[in-house]
Amino acid sequence: MEASTTKKASKFNHGIIDCDVHQGVKSYDDLKPYMPRVWWDRLKAHNATLPFLMFRPIPLERNDAAPGNGLPSGSDPEFAKVDLLDRYNIERAVLTGNLLSISAHNNPDYAAALASAFNDYTMDTWIPSDERWLGSIVVATQDPLLAAKEIDRLGSHPRVVQVLLTSASREPYGQRRYYPIYEAAARNNLVIGIHGGGEGDGINPSTTAAGYPTTNFERHNILAIHHMSQLNSIVCEGVFERFPTLKVAFIEGGLAWLPHLMWRMDKNFRAMRNEVPWLKYKPSEYILKHVRLTTQPIEEPDNKELVQMFQLMHAEKTVMFSTDYPHWDNDTPLFVLNKLPEEMRRRVAYENAAEMYQLQERGLLAGGVAK
Amino acid sequence: MTKHDVVGVEELEAGACKITTIEGKSIGVYYNGNEYYAIRNVCPHQQVELCKGKFTGTTLESKPHEYIYGREGEILTCPWHGWEFDVKTGKALVDPDRYRVKVYDVSIENNRVLVHMD
Ligand code: FES
Repeated sequence: MEASTTKKASKFNHGIIDCDVHQGVKSYDDLKPYMPRVWWDRLKAHNATLPFLMFRPIPLERNDAAPGNGLPSGSDPEFAKVDLLDRYNIERAVLTGNLLSISAHNNPDYAAALASAFNDYTMDTWIPSDERWLGSIVVATQDPLLAAKEIDRLGSHPRVVQVLLTSASREPYGQRRYYPIYEAAARNNLVIGIHGGGEGDGINPSTTAAGYPTTNFERHNILAIHHMSQLNSIVCEGVFERFPTLKVAFIEGGLAWLPHLMWRMDKNFRAMRNEVPWLKYKPSEYILKHVRLTTQPIEEPDNKELVQMFQLMHAEKTVMFSTDYPHWDNDTPLFVLNKLPEEMRRRVAYENAAEMYQLQERGLLAGGVAK
Repeated sequence: MTKHDVVGVEELEAGACKITTIEGKSIGVYYNGNEYYAIRNVCPHQQVELCKGKFTGTTLESKPHEYIYGREGEILTCPWHGWEFDVKTGKALVDPDRYRVKVYDVSIENNRVLVHMD
């Protein structure tokens, strides 16, 4: 590529890695072959048994991303390849699925069976359809031992890079009952992805920390408190001391709260360090080393403030690009990445994700310039 | 000013929008049962195809916890993030001075819908 001509025309010559694409099933009946007969009848009523309570005036899935023939958006890998990967020239995309309230279910056995079936479906239909897709193993966190089993069952697959939990949980994720999940993730060299979902649904605590909101607007404004709560718990409880190789991606939880939380944690650490004698470093140091966040849905201040915000959170290390395709609030690469200065854009669009998911080491890069 | 023949009136049902290209621009021609509108098919937010969204009404200004529905057929909701636009003016309902989409004059001549471009 000629350097003189690349300045303007080749904003994305380093490629894009999309860290959040939601693949789904064409019909929940497609999961039957992967599930014990005893659960089949529930699948038909999945809306009733996969809790998803808040009414969304704008449907979760974009209508204009529907593949046709009445199929739901995000259900056809062939269509998504053209509609997302080809259109925006995305080099690799991490699939995060659509069981976003799996850990809100009251029945841990059904939830685990559904997660397994969905994972098998993804492995059989999406992963083989294009080498650009990378997989996440979704687990139900109600029973961490079952979740660990699921991670060991599929964790060695060469294109699986992540274990996916939803951000709402019965208890904060730093607590000891979740260790089996982290042990299994570390054993299989997988990133833990914590993705929004299930807040206030089923057995999970309220959508806001103050109670249940009235509207989806109010819910969506405050969603980040779940990510904040989980990150706070994971760092303070010493998960990164216990599992020093563990990396955690916070997906679809916004970004602007990160400086606030890091500053507050570091300040409080000076006074209350003796409560957490296992922490050898300041909380922000664990975060910069172990934690990454995805862009979508990015807060939308003006450009100058956006860049400032990125600087405050050390985005050149901590932020990875995501579209959230095909959901209603997805971001196009052209919108978010175009607002960033070149160096930061390259880190955010590509290199942070390539490093986080060890794509070079795994031989999963097509030809980008990640170090 | 040039008038572009887009579609016959009988071909465009109430509530329907036909997306077409005029002078290299993608434009949606929409009929709400009363009037015809021509709207640039690009959302000012993230530049996606706005006219693939929903033509609908909306809740009118009201007191807290009072819901008044109105303007049926006059609001275009973007298929992505759901921003609402007035089909008559192209202005967004929130921040109308900052966000607007271009709208064009339309006339009916000999049962054909014509879009005016300057
Ligand atoms: S692209 Fe239309 S509302 Fe965002």
